[in-house]
Amino acid sequence: MSHTMSVPKDVPAEIERFDLIFRIQHVLMFTTFLILSFTGWGLKYAHVEVSSWWIRIWGGAETAGIIHRVAGVTMLLDFIFHVGYLIYLTAQGKLKFRKETTLIPLPKDIVDVVQNFMYFLGFTRKKPQFAKFSYAQKFDYWAVFWGMFIIGFSGFALAFPILVSGLFPESTSGWIWQLLGIMHSDEALLAIVFILFWHFYNEHLKPEIFPMSWVWITGKISTAELKHRHPLEYDLHFGEGKPEKKEV
Amino acid sequence: MKKTRRLATALTAFALIALPGMTGSGTASANATSCLLCHNAMSGKATTASGAEIELRINSNLFQASVHGSMACTECHQAFTENPHTAPDQAVADDLKKLSSTIAKKAKVDPVAYSACSTCHSDVYQSVMTSVHGKNIAEKGAADGALCLDCHGGPHGIVKSTDENSPVNRKHVVATCANCHADEKLAAKYGHEANIMESYNESFHGKKYTLGHTKAPTCVNCHGYHDIKSKSDPASPVFGTINKTKTCGNCHKGANATFVGAITHKPAGPIPHYAELGLIVLTMGTIAFTIAHVLLEAYSDIRDVVFRKKEEEEETKNESYNECA
Repeated sequence: MSHTMSVPKDVPAEIERFDLIFRIQHVLMFTTFLILSFTGWGLKYAHVEVSSWWIRIWGGAETAGIIHRVAGVTMLLDFIFHVGYLIYLTAQGKLKFRKETTLIPLPKDIVDVVQNFMYFLGFTRKKPQFAKFSYAQKFDYWAVFWGMFIIGFSGFALAFPILVSGLFPESTSGWIWQLLGIMHSDEALLAIVFILFWHFYNEHLKPEIFPMSWVWITGKISTAELKHRHPLEYDLHFGEGKPEKKEV
Repeated sequence: MKKTRRLATALTAFALIALPGMTGSGTASANATSCLLCHNAMSGKATTASGAEIELRINSNLFQASVHGSMACTECHQAFTENPHTAPDQAVADDLKKLSSTIAKKAKVDPVAYSACSTCHSDVYQSVMTSVHGKNIAEKGAADGALCLDCHGGPHGIVKSTDENSPVNRKHVVATCANCHADEKLAAKYGHEANIMESYNESFHGKKYTLGHTKAPTCVNCHGYHDIKSKSDPASPVFGTINKTKTCGNCHKGANATFVGAITHKPAGPIPHYAELGLIVLTMGTIAFTIAHVLLEAYSDIRDVVFRKKEEEEETKNESYNECA
């Protein structure tokens, strides 16, 4: 790790970044995501010969279809639980809006993007100073939200078409299913490519993180790393004249 | 010349095949055995008086393995219109004669033999003649439309539809329909939509079928087969919402008017088309941004590690973090 930053002695060595419940949500999310990608890929490219072989590995078309539906429903339930959990935390006062800890995109994020590109290209020596969630992480997070609405809803509709057909008036019959199919298939491809590049680089391949950020297992981040990668959040908790606060 | 050579081939074949063949234990009738003595060994083609080109060889193995392997040749080939054969000593029934003249343009080789399917398969034949395929031949006198053999395969090798080698077996039936329905000339002539096979293959039904799903429907599950109707015929199972609701409902219990639009051969309308275009732009844009960002970041990370490590450490030591907040 390249961050060899030191923190004052009265600052704890590490703090909790994600509690156990968030960590379980994440594990459910990525396992179902991988299963959905693997089985869905074979269906999307059914005309390619190797797909028949690939689908046989998953137990044949019928079984792969069942696996895909079960994983999809599990992912949707995970998502719904996540939103419910956020609402619960907010209601309990455990989750407060602060610009240093929020996941909500703020104008500063756009400034950070520009500054980061300038840094990449060597126009500035100053890296943007991130809060608890950098714009890259916010992007990663909201991409899942987008995917849940677009891919999740269309997937549910395609998996349970008779049930969902009641939601749409008959006049939509001529185009709604094609639209749902396109939404599901095209956005799934986007999600896979996005995860493959964005999430894998930022959370796995980056030299300072490789082979991966362990926070998804431990839930903890060292204060040294926090100071290096999320200085604004570090300052909120441990900055001068600020006693440690519980909110994270 | 040609005839002489053919005769010579037949005689040679007789010498080679007949004697061992006589003691053979084939299931073919005596009648078929004697015809096949020559026809199993012949080669080449001949042109009939009606202008059809025929293969002279009948593969006796395939014939005997077929569902009709125990039949006599003359059960179908009841009449010959030309030499070198002597006409079988039997009168052709009037209804066969009538049917054979109806389908004469289509069944150029031997209209009587082609009509003879109806002797045993009369119900099926009748329903075929009410179908869009049958009417095309019987009423319009088409020579290129489908009749029995176009779907069931060569007349001397027909096997059961449950046999994997049958062209109408689940395994092959889509490809069999595609013989005509993916043909651009026929599509233009008969006004088929040109993308019938593509739209099937790209549909969820077609994709599942391709991947070996054992319950995914093929053409015939929605359109029917022997009594198949044009989609514009009110008797077609895919005509109009009411019929479609019933047809889809065979597999999808509770299929309703909104649902039945899910599977169609129609090309995508403007809404899905522009939605797809929009999503492609969004996808490409996101991927371009993502890849550019990742590559530039990787470049800068490597640059920092290799060239700027010490510099950066000193820099950050002296930096106050509140600066940029």
